[in-house]
Amino acid sequence: MTLIDSRAAALRAALTRTVGQPLRFFPLVLAAAALFAAALLGAIGAWRLQPLEAPPWAYPQALVLAAGAEGEVDLAALGLALRKVANVSAANFVGRDAALADLAQRPGLASLGLRELRPNPLPDAFVVRFAVDAGPDAVEAAVAQLRKVRDVESVQFQPEAYRRTWALARLARRLMLLGAVVLAAAVVMGLSALAAFRLRPDQEEIRLLDMLGAEPAAVRRPYVYSGALSCLMAAALAVWIAAVVAAGLDPLIADLALQFGVHWSAEAPPGWWAIAFCAAATALGAALASAAIRVAIRAVRNGARGG
Amino acid sequence: MQDPRIEPQLSEAAAAVAVLELAGVEQRYGAFRPALVGVDILARRGDFLLVQGGGASGKSVLLRLMAGLEPPTAGTVRVAGEDLARLRPVARAHMRRSIGYLPPGGGLLLARSALENVAMAPWAAGATREEGVRRAQVALGLVGLDAERSARTPCSQLPSGERQCVALARALANRPALLLLDDLLAPFDDADAERILRLLDPFSEAGVTIVVTQRSAGAPLPVSPPWPVRARLLSLQDGKVGP
Repeated sequence: MTLIDSRAAALRAALTRTVGQPLRFFPLVLAAAALFAAALLGAIGAWRLQPLEAPPWAYPQALVLAAGAEGEVDLAALGLALRKVANVSAANFVGRDAALADLAQRPGLASLGLRELRPNPLPDAFVVRFAVDAGPDAVEAAVAQLRKVRDVESVQFQPEAYRRTWALARLARRLMLLGAVVLAAAVVMGLSALAAFRLRPDQEEIRLLDMLGAEPAAVRRPYVYSGALSCLMAAALAVWIAAVVAAGLDPLIADLALQFGVHWSAEAPPGWWAIAFCAAATALGAALASAAIRVAIRAVRNGARGG
Repeated sequence: MQDPRIEPQLSEAAAAVAVLELAGVEQRYGAFRPALVGVDILARRGDFLLVQGGGASGKSVLLRLMAGLEPPTAGTVRVAGEDLARLRPVARAHMRRSIGYLPPGGGLLLARSALENVAMAPWAAGATREEGVRRAQVALGLVGLDAERSARTPCSQLPSGERQCVALARALANRPALLLLDDLLAPFDDADAERILRLLDPFSEAGVTIVVTQRSAGAPLPVSPPWPVRARLLSLQDGKVGP
C-alpha cells in the first residue's frame, strides 16, 4: 500500500486495496457479514421479545382448596391471606360453581349430568402463582406456609416436577447466556482473524516508511481505513441478510410464540438500527485494523532491531 | 522542504554548528558481545566522515543509531542538539525526514519503480503526490538516472549499481541536513565510485554532514582520492572507534 500523509490519499489507497481486489476481498467480507448477521439476528430476536415477560406456564403454581361448605368461609379474606405469603405473586379465585361448569363441559363428562349435582361437591379454590424466579426450596417453603393459612383444606403442588422444571430452566438460561457470549466472542475473534488475514501488512514498506520518517498515524491510516471500509460493507451486507432471514423466520417464530404464550412483537426494529449497526461495525473494523497494524509495526521494528 | 539542489557555501559560524554528537554510546543485543562500546563522535555542518571497519565491526549499527532507528543501550545520540532516544515517536519521525539514510543493500521496494521508491521520501514527509514525484525526478537526475525510464522500470530490473543510485537519490530527495550512507560504494566500480563521491562533494560543501561507511579488511585504508581530502577517517574495530 502506498503511503500517505493525506486522508483522501489514504482513502484512495484503502479503496484500491479493498474493492480493487474483488476476488480476495469479497469472500472475506461475506464471512464477516455472516458473523455480523448472526449477531444482528440475535439482537433483533431480543428486541422483539421485549417487554420480556415469562409466559403464564413458566410460573410455578399450586392449587389451594378452601375448607368448609359454601358460604362458610370468607373467601376475600382467604385470598388476601394467601397473597401475603412470601414468594406468592398472585392468588386467583376459582369458584366451585365455575369449576363444576368447566368439568361439565369437558368431552366425555357432559352426559353424566354434573350440572344437576346439588349441593355442589367441589370446593372453592385459589390458583396460587409464585414468583417466577423463586427456586424450589423457596416455593416449597411457601407451600408449607400456605398449608398453615386458616381455612385452607389442602394444597396441591408437585415438588419433584417443579424441581425438574427449575433445573431445566436454569440450564437453558445458562446455555443462552453462554451462547450470547460465544456469539460475541466469535464476532470479535472472527473479525480479528479476518483483519489479521486481510491486513497482512507489507513489512518491507512499513520498515521503509518508518525509516523515512513517516508519522506512525500516516503509516496506519490506509490499513485502518481499509478495515473500516471492509466492516462497513460487511455490516451493510449483514443488514440485508438479517432482513431476509428475519422476514422468512418471522411467521414461524410468531406462531411458536403464540403457542407458548410468549410475547413476540409484530413490529420490525426501527430503521435507525441499521445505520447505528453499520456505524458500530465501521468503528469496530477501524479499531481492530488499528490494533492489528500496531502489532505488525511493532514486529517490524523489533525485527529490524534484531537484524 | 526544498529540492535536493545545492546551495552556496557555508559561513564559518554555520560550519561550527554540531549536527551529530555521540557520547559514550554503547549498543548490546542480549548476551552477545557488544556491537558498539564507548563511541564518541562529533560532526559539524559540512563534515565528511568515513567510517571504515571489517565485517561485524559495528558500522551498520552505528548508522542505525545515528538515524534514530534504534536507541542506544547506553550513552546519547544527538542530532541537531536533540537526544533521539528522548524524542516522542512523532518528533523522531519528523527528525528522520531531515536525515537521508541509505541502509545496507539500499532498502528498496523491488516491485516498485525507481521513481516511486524515491518519491516515498517526500511522500513520507507529507508532500503531495505531484510534489513527491517532482522532487524524485530532480533527485534521480542528480544521481544520473533518467527520470522517465525510472518511472517505468521496477527496481528488480535494475543492475545493482543503479539500484544503489536510486537509494542514494531517495536519501537526497528531502534535502537532508545529515546523510548516512551505509556501504555506499559497494556495488560500484572505481569509475562509478569516483562519480558518486564527486556528486556528494558539493552537498558537503553546502553544509550537509555526510557519514559514509566502507568495509575494509585489515588495517584502515588512508583517505585518498577518490575520497574528498577533507574526509575524516574513523576506524571501527570490534565496536570501538580506533585512533
